[in-house]
Amino acid sequence: MSTYAFIVGGVLPGIAALTFIIGMTYRFRVWSRTVQPGKMTLFPASDNTIKAVLAEAVFFPGLFRGDRVLWMFAWIFHATLALVFLGHLRVFTGLVDRILAAMGLSADAIAAMSNTVGGIAGVVLLATGIMLLIRRVTLQRAKEISGLPDFFALLLIIAIILTGNMMRFGPHFELEQTRVWARSLITFSPAVPQNGLFLTHALLAIVLIMYIPFSKILHFGGIFFTQSLIKRR
Amino acid sequence: MSNKEKVENAVAAINKGPKALKLYMEICAKCGTCASVCPVYYGSPEKKFNPSVRSDLIRAVYKKQCTHSGKILGKLAGAREFDERELEQWVEDFYSCTGCRRCATYCPFGIDNSVITRKGRAILNTLGLTPEVMKKVVEISLKTGNTDGASPKAFMAAIEFLEEEMRDEHGVDIKVPVDVEGADYFYVPPSGDVLVNIEATTGVAKVFHALGMSDRWTMSSKCFDGANYGLFTGDDNSMKEDNKMYVEEAKRLRIKTMLMGECGHAHRIMKFMMEPGKWWGDLPFTITNCLQWTAEHIRAGRLQFDKSKNSMPVTYHDPCNFGRSCNIVEEPRIILHATCMDFREMHPNRGENWCCGGGAGLSAMDTIHEFRMEVTGKKKMEQIRATGAKYVAAACSNCKRQLIQLMEYHKEDIAVGGVHDMLSRSILIDGKAAEHVDYEHQAVETSSQ
Repeated sequence: MSTYAFIVGGVLPGIAALTFIIGMTYRFRVWSRTVQPGKMTLFPASDNTIKAVLAEAVFFPGLFRGDRVLWMFAWIFHATLALVFLGHLRVFTGLVDRILAAMGLSADAIAAMSNTVGGIAGVVLLATGIMLLIRRVTLQRAKEISGLPDFFALLLIIAIILTGNMMRFGPHFELEQTRVWARSLITFSPAVPQNGLFLTHALLAIVLIMYIPFSKILHFGGIFFTQSLIKRR
Repeated sequence: MSNKEKVENAVAAINKGPKALKLYMEICAKCGTCASVCPVYYGSPEKKFNPSVRSDLIRAVYKKQCTHSGKILGKLAGAREFDERELEQWVEDFYSCTGCRRCATYCPFGIDNSVITRKGRAILNTLGLTPEVMKKVVEISLKTGNTDGASPKAFMAAIEFLEEEMRDEHGVDIKVPVDVEGADYFYVPPSGDVLVNIEATTGVAKVFHALGMSDRWTMSSKCFDGANYGLFTGDDNSMKEDNKMYVEEAKRLRIKTMLMGECGHAHRIMKFMMEPGKWWGDLPFTITNCLQWTAEHIRAGRLQFDKSKNSMPVTYHDPCNFGRSCNIVEEPRIILHATCMDFREMHPNRGENWCCGGGAGLSAMDTIHEFRMEVTGKKKMEQIRATGAKYVAAACSNCKRQLIQLMEYHKEDIAVGGVHDMLSRSILIDGKAAEHVDYEHQAVETSSQ
């Protein structure tokens, strides 16, 4: 195993996981402990704060009313991202396959389903990601507030999507390798797939995971705090 | 301590809260949705009017002071060293936000830029950089108990005039009790509704009279102005000091209910800040608004009107503080539907209504008159024109001043006034509505706040 592969596939995943867990726990703790004197309800506010905040986090209804074009890109982007996240469970464990098999699907059917859904998701994600980027460089009100962190986050995610798509649509990559790798990480005896594309994809993903607690991508956790402040009656 | 250090320390203090402000510093995704729903940016889509750019004045300094990425990466992480020369820009920018909270309604994360604006103004206030006119209003209000600096004597003269007017209108005595201890209701209007636009107050007096409750309410000759500009300068101390006078007066008068007038921010401070925040502990009285109170009596069928007195098309402008911040949206409509023949909605309305362009105290600033007329009030003017209304009711003295000036500036023959004004002109007292002349003319002339 090359040193590069060992670092990317054997050392960094652990560091990234720790950074992410500690970083996010720290953030959430600080946020929930910070004082908020006074209420700041914004009407109309529902009687059911939890439901209203969840609805906002899942469907972005506020954005829908404010900027419909952005809503379309942003919602499809985030929803597909969530779907792809679920899809990666299958990359790391055979459990999903076994559940589907128990439901009576053949191995071929599962692979075909994964190819179709995953393939479409990858393309949609790339397309909406690029649209968000184009919006950021062309739409005046977004362009004038965009800084390096905004471009970095977006370009990083697009690069991850791109390398992921290349693995799916390029030369065949046997998923069993990543499952072995996932198991090996838990037992601290890394067996890293020797595939350049895979290693690039993994490295970029690791950078993203470590970057989240220190960046604006925090909005995916922060939304629950900020929305509950204005939606609490 | 230099101004630079003062600003940096004040910004760094956000790290300890309030929670909302701290989160706003850390999670903005820079999507620009706030700009597309902001009345100022709509009026003039310049970079400095983009709410996110304005908020970045503080956010960039926060990142430099409080975040690891900002300390290490600096500009690359969106952090910026504060430069004292920016202060001039701070004053201009933080006093070009109308604090209407519309951005928070549409922001996917609910980021309320008005909170950041208020923080910016609070910092400017500690440096003595609050615009002169705002400073003066706060000073006068703390000294005299009202933003107009009117003496109890001037107030009594105004009440006398008001009672005379009502006698002329109805041929009967309709009382406005003053300084009565032990009354049930303590009416706290904005001073403009007594000294300038008297019809909102005559409307309330007539409701009490029609209900046979003339001896159950009172006003105070010392505390007749709910307006509180500490909210606008970001100065919590003077906001509380001003508020305390009113709570003390209510206690002294041993009233049961504080009846707030047609003033959105006054109601918001009393009902949504002071009361739940327990600034002065538990209160021996409840707080409600005259719009809610009157609407309830209309709903119960206790008041009768002659709608033909208000035959012109009427629309309602939801003041941001009543709509988005206090949820008083249906009550004014109940009153207007009951008292006007042709009520028309403007769109969008209620919680989604556009600001008049004079929010957060801007309406009082004549130094930015053209900016308010051309930029911040642009959308409002379009909205009002689209309704074809000849009278715009706004339950807020600041909105009224801004709207009256807008109509003059844009040469529109549209009257502006309160909600109870419409009631005052149409309510039946002993079976008869008021005999009156030339209200429109009066409304246009009353362009003081």
